[in-house]
Amino acid sequence: MKIAFFPPDLFEDDREVLLDVVREVALDPEQRFILGRRTERFETVIRDAVGAADAIACSSGTSALTLVLRAMGVGPGDEVVVPAYCCAPLAAAPVLLGATPVFADVDPATMVVDPVEVEKAVTARTKVVMPAHVFSVMADMPALRAIAADAGARLLEDSAVAQGGVLGGRAAGTWGDAGVYSFVQVKTFGMPGEGGMVVTGDPELGRVVRMLRNHGQDGRTRFLHHRIGVNSRFDEIMAAFQLRRLPGLPARLERRARIGEYYTERFTGLPGVVPPPPGRDGRCFYVYSLLAEHRDALHDHLAIRGIGSHVYYRSPLPHQAAFRTTGREWPAAERACARQLAIPIHPHLTDTQVEHIADEVCRFART
Amino acid sequence: MSVPSFTQSATFSKLWPTTSRHIIDVLDRGKYSHGHKVVELEEALAAYTGAEYVVGVNSGTDALVLLLRACGLRPGDEVVVPAFSFIASASAVVLAGGRPVFADIEPDGYGMDPASLAAVTTERTRFVLPAHLFCQPADMTGLGETARRLGLTVVEDSAEAIGMRYGGTHAGLLGKGGVLSFFPTKTLGALGDAGAVLTDDPGVAETVAALRHHGRFGPTAGHFPAINTTTGAVGVNSKMDDLQAAVLLAKLGRLDADIERRAVLAHRYTELLAGVPGVRKLPSVLPRRADVRGVFYVYALEVERRDQLAAHLAARGVGAETYYPTPLHLQPCFADLGHRPGDFPHAEAACRHALALPLYPDLHEDDVAQVCREIRDFSRSAEAA
Repeated sequence: MKIAFFPPDLFEDDREVLLDVVREVALDPEQRFILGRRTERFETVIRDAVGAADAIACSSGTSALTLVLRAMGVGPGDEVVVPAYCCAPLAAAPVLLGATPVFADVDPATMVVDPVEVEKAVTARTKVVMPAHVFSVMADMPALRAIAADAGARLLEDSAVAQGGVLGGRAAGTWGDAGVYSFVQVKTFGMPGEGGMVVTGDPELGRVVRMLRNHGQDGRTRFLHHRIGVNSRFDEIMAAFQLRRLPGLPARLERRARIGEYYTERFTGLPGVVPPPPGRDGRCFYVYSLLAEHRDALHDHLAIRGIGSHVYYRSPLPHQAAFRTTGREWPAAERACARQLAIPIHPHLTDTQVEHIADEVCRFART
Repeated sequence: MSVPSFTQSATFSKLWPTTSRHIIDVLDRGKYSHGHKVVELEEALAAYTGAEYVVGVNSGTDALVLLLRACGLRPGDEVVVPAFSFIASASAVVLAGGRPVFADIEPDGYGMDPASLAAVTTERTRFVLPAHLFCQPADMTGLGETARRLGLTVVEDSAEAIGMRYGGTHAGLLGKGGVLSFFPTKTLGALGDAGAVLTDDPGVAETVAALRHHGRFGPTAGHFPAINTTTGAVGVNSKMDDLQAAVLLAKLGRLDADIERRAVLAHRYTELLAGVPGVRKLPSVLPRRADVRGVFYVYALEVERRDQLAAHLAARGVGAETYYPTPLHLQPCFADLGHRPGDFPHAEAACRHALALPLYPDLHEDDVAQVCREIRDFSRSAEAA
């Protein structure tokens, strides 16, 4: 039995849908391929589903983060508090705007940013607090919201991996001044291309993001550029595809959650392996990551048995060449880098495959 | 019968067997951005343009930003850009951390005027970014000589210029590097946003390739696990969709035939519009000190009462586009640079008079005749008034 970590057949059931939407958009008499009525519809549907004031589709989750920071006026001299353990865009987005990312260490068990560390990182120059949901765990948004409010800083929720997650009855992406989603293929609402979205409860922020994503134009007068904007738009083909796949999303999310629950049940109490916390609140089952004492050996054990697993971040962001920050340590982030291993959780997995993966993790831990 | 400003439905239908084969290949491989189809497109474009390296990205604008960064633009460096172009020619400079300095254009070819380049260059200027607009490259001999004399690096906004050549060299390869835009209406157009960087410089190519994928160096295209590669540079996500690469590969096979078709249609416009009162200028590829291969991406003529003519055409179902109504130095986003009307008279005149007529391979000769009839009607009624 061979089980890939990155499923190669994500859209196997949607091959005809993709060919259909390409034809539909290409032959549409309107001949509008970017930011047309399908994108508008997709934005409206997501906006209403999460109860935001505005939802703005753009070219990627990374671009969504940068657009929001830009719209918040982040620039040289400003600080943005970001997790020390996560993906590069969290640090790159502030740097690209001339601001400084200030790293906060993470919770050693859940790998999301630790509010106590965020509070310590806040200074008078902090303009934005930018926590991220990581793997299957949402950050402690109520605590982070309070910290941002106290600091007079804005809160940008990197919910790129967490679409479908809910914490305390509130959808991932709606806890801060703005949140983002990513639709790159592997995500919970992935699609066959690059794309992302900004969601916000602040209509003015939404208006500015809308302008910035399309060269600073106001959507009425073409070729009149009010602000320096970027090209971060959304393709009609992808909007059409997402609209067709949306009805199946709850079932795919539920399948992911069940696989996650099953894993956690099997792994709780295993020696040398720490699963993510049980339960559904504040969870998003995008990636299921374990912390393993003998991580590389577990990876190899699984690989020999045909099971793909994946190490996400091999070094904390402040240790990477592009964001090198010296003078202190990030012990929890470093431990996560040494111990994190993600195992397959995609909704196409059969029960037999899931059981096999769990059996092999247990077998490794017990020997 | 209406004549839209753009349609590609007929071409799409004709190419669907090839396009769908490429899309099915993408589905079979299962990677939908920065995958094998993008690599295949990069290789095909390298063969077509003669570039040593082609790096696929998310848009022509991103291509410009990443190219400028890879060429070593430092914060505060000045880059001379034309005052008449699409906004990206200037906004890309700001996004890359530099300062745009505007130069006027040549009144006939719409490219940057070498004399104006010399006039606006200061000791902080390090780059010049000429744009090749509408149907021909800028005066690359004159601009190249001036740039060499002033010690400026040439980077080309060749977003519109696929197929254009200057002295036998493809546009974008006359300096340190150039870009391509595959915006749907372009000569080689996708069904969404996509772009590419062209360069013969291995260092520039490697840096652009890393910057487009979160600053990750090494072979990342086609590989999923690249996410755990650590970050060597402050990058962005500007990966190209394989679906768009599939569409572009299918179209690339007939690009030269499309270019030929565009030339025939442009020639027909010129025949039918010559001598019509109110027409100030018809486009033509200018003779230069080197052989030039123009490509009619846009058929832009200059007319009196341009906005009224555009409204007249729109009322009769003819989609004409105004490229560009406002010069870059007078855009609200550059208000802090303090320019005034009159600073760049040729750019301003082009903004007042230029109008782009429908021009694309799906267009029929009958459509061209109809557009020209409408222009003559407008001209007659204007004369009578």
